[in-house]
Amino acid sequence: MENSAPPDRDGRTIVVIGSSTGGPRTLETIFSQFPLVDATIVIVQHMPHYINSALCRHLAKTCLMEVRIGEDGEPIEHGTIYVAPSDVHLKLVGNRTIRLFNDEKVKFVRPSIDVAMTSLERNSDDRFVGVILSGMGSDGAEGIRHIKAIGGTTLAQTLRTCAIHAMPRAAFETGRVDQMLPPEGIRERIIRIAGIL
Amino acid sequence: MVEVPCRRIMVVDDDVFILEVMEELFEPEGIDVVTAESGDACIAELEKGFRGVILMDIMMPRKDGWETIEEMIARGLMDGNVIAMLTAKDIPDAKLEHLKEHVIDYITKPFEADEIVTIVKGYLNYLT
Repeated sequence: MENSAPPDRDGRTIVVIGSSTGGPRTLETIFSQFPLVDATIVIVQHMPHYINSALCRHLAKTCLMEVRIGEDGEPIEHGTIYVAPSDVHLKLVGNRTIRLFNDEKVKFVRPSIDVAMTSLERNSDDRFVGVILSGMGSDGAEGIRHIKAIGGTTLAQTLRTCAIHAMPRAAFETGRVDQMLPPEGIRERIIRIAGIL
Repeated sequence: MVEVPCRRIMVVDDDVFILEVMEELFEPEGIDVVTAESGDACIAELEKGFRGVILMDIMMPRKDGWETIEEMIARGLMDGNVIAMLTAKDIPDAKLEHLKEHVIDYITKPFEADEIVTIVKGYLNYLT
């Protein structure tokens, strides 16, 4: 069941989006003219380090959320999109603080979507949304399983709208994806769950 | 400071027809097109200093697109380039998953002219 009740005053809506090959253009569709919503959004995109800033800049162009590269030790804020930097893993400590750390690649990648998603901790205040977009391999499938287990909402990009559908397919095959949606549908669902500020 | 988008692409394909189509598509847009008929020719262009968006065919004789990327990594020629695979093959082999951090997109042939121009222009904006 989707966790659609509004969070209490101290609660957060935390959205973690996992994206890989073909994902940047999906992200641009999702965040084009995106309103300021009452959520913290973390994007884990597999990409070379030298385009981290460019991806942020592009997403920020027409999006009303603040978009920036996540920094180690940074407390997360409402209305902000954090892009995971390349070459380090990202997790959220206590659902509130970004921790970047060097460790082995997981499923060939660093940052790992699974690492970011499985760092979320169940509590009575926060709401969670996990989203898997286009990409090779199966990173994110374990993360989706975890987010569902802690009561979150899980979405994946429809296979026909993906440049490569292996990642959303792997997520779907866990049996824990609530809904497969095209990029526009993912966008609308995130807005509806989070609520506009 | 105004950042000027990169205006250079390299098309790597053993099909000369594809190379010609790409020149016809992109040059009227003010985008310089470097063509390479093989993975080795691509490496040679990179060693001469090419930096930009690379549209890489996968299935090429001698050295395929994935092998070309592996050689780029080994030779330290990745920085400053954005790579999109250009292919008739729908699903990449799972054994190539270790290269996914280096490949930003996967464009399937046949492609719509408008679509590929829009996609590539987007990635050119990532490089300044």
